Amino acid sequence: MKITHDAQRCCSSGMCESFAPDIFEISDDDGALQVLDATPDESRRGAVELAIASCPTEALSLE
Amino acid sequence: MTTTRETRPYDVADLSSLGFWESTASEREKTFADLRAHRPITWHSPAEGRLMDDPNDQGFWAVVRHADLVEVTRRHDDFISGEGIVFDSVPPELLDAAQGFIAMDPPRHTQVRRLLVSAFTPKQMKRIEDNVVANARRIVDEIAAKGQVDFVREVAMLVPMHNIFDMMGVPEEHRLALAKTSETIGSYRDLPGNDPTEVVRVLTESLIGFQVIASELVNQRRTNPTDDLITSLVQAEVDGEKLSDADIMSFFSLLMVAGNDTTRQSTAHGLQALTDFPEQRAWLMEDIDGRMTSAVEEIVRWATPIMTFRRTAARDCELGGQQITAGDKVILFYASANWDTEVFEHPGRLDLARTPNKHISFGGGGIHHCLGNQLARRQLAATFKELLTRLPDIRSTGEQVYGAGNFFHTVASMPATFTPEAVR
Ligand code: HEM
Repeated sequence: MKITHDAQRCCSSGMCESFAPDIFEISDDDGALQVLDATPDESRRGAVELAIASCPTEALSLE
Repeated sequence: MTTTRETRPYDVADLSSLGFWESTASEREKTFADLRAHRPITWHSPAEGRLMDDPNDQGFWAVVRHADLVEVTRRHDDFISGEGIVFDSVPPELLDAAQGFIAMDPPRHTQVRRLLVSAFTPKQMKRIEDNVVANARRIVDEIAAKGQVDFVREVAMLVPMHNIFDMMGVPEEHRLALAKTSETIGSYRDLPGNDPTEVVRVLTESLIGFQVIASELVNQRRTNPTDDLITSLVQAEVDGEKLSDADIMSFFSLLMVAGNDTTRQSTAHGLQALTDFPEQRAWLMEDIDGRMTSAVEEIVRWATPIMTFRRTAARDCELGGQQITAGDKVILFYASANWDTEVFEHPGRLDLARTPNKHISFGGGGIHHCLGNQLARRQLAATFKELLTRLPDIRSTGEQVYGAGNFFHTVASMPATFTPEAVR
């Protein structure tokens, strides 16, 4: 499982972080989203899928 | 056949009169239930105003189902916010002064939101958790010996006031005045008198009072920057340019109104709900720490502190089988969506264990999704924990007074009684 993040589309809503704070984090510096772990363990799939579906700008996807 | 805005017939259901909004949430729900079941996207006559009548306003589309509300929220290219986000027609100079970036569209909305978002993340909320708990404790300390209070003035209003102003960096001496201004801006339909010019005058006066205090604070931060949100606004740059003073004031106002009045309403409706459903309260008390998270979600659904927001169609498009025309107003009815039986089993029952709880009180998951949702949740958990453990028999006396607006679901006052702490 590999997460891709399109920074152009991202609007920093923070929705993904609310589902998986260990994987997605809004940066303290500039409010941009950082994917802390782009290849998380399979056991996190449920949370990752919820986070991706919650994105209002479809900036996240799974490979 | 497509109709134009001017000729489109109005639905028979009344969502527009002052009387509809002066009635109770359960009365309004009868109308919403009928619309949700039979006519989910309907065109209505303009909202009867308290501020102005806009001759160019021909009406609005009502979005009442949960699924449709989420859809409109997420189609932010079709349904934009930049034309205004409140249901009522409001003089534009008042709107510009108070709405902030919630009434902006991308790309500027995104740029501005990024300036503030890191102060509201789950990580940041953990950092301020102790302070949120301390604020709840301080407020319960103040009332604990009294035995009876106006719960709105002495609890519900004060918790969010201290928390948001701690974050923003508003000193104690200005807090009550600004919280009062915030209330006037958010709940002007509850101001006494029926003369629109008088209401506009009071609103303008409040805004000017707010701007005097706010610009003083802004100027102080320019000279003495600290680590609060006012400093963030003062130092922020978008596209290499500092924010204008007008923008800073309007963002300040948005944080103030959004930060104060929403959580206040949730706290008050929460106490009423816990009074009305004693068996739910007993269930919560059996394991208050373990059950608080789901309880807070249900309280926020039950309260639906924001009843309406507006979008405007950016182009001709379709919604739920209806042909929408560019420029049409589209109103999202949050209270209706939170009672949608397609999503909620027995929505009229308070169920503090409700899981999942897909309420849309913080928005339908779009780019404007409530910036303060984590803060609000933490505050409500801290407040009810403190109240229910220290004043376990606190209850509303049933003499609460609800507001008459169509924006915030306000509780103007709520007498509450309890056994004073020292007596127990
Ligand atoms: C129970 C309490 C609260 C409720 C029910 C609530 C509800 C909402 C709703 C419905 C929206 C619009 C969502 C949309 O258009 O999709 C919103 C946006 C917003 N809320 Fe809250 N809110 C609450 C607490 C707070 C708090 C404590 C703050 C603190 C500052 C806050 C700040 C904001 C801001 C700044 C926006 C605009 C975000 C944007 O445009 O990007 N809210 N809120």
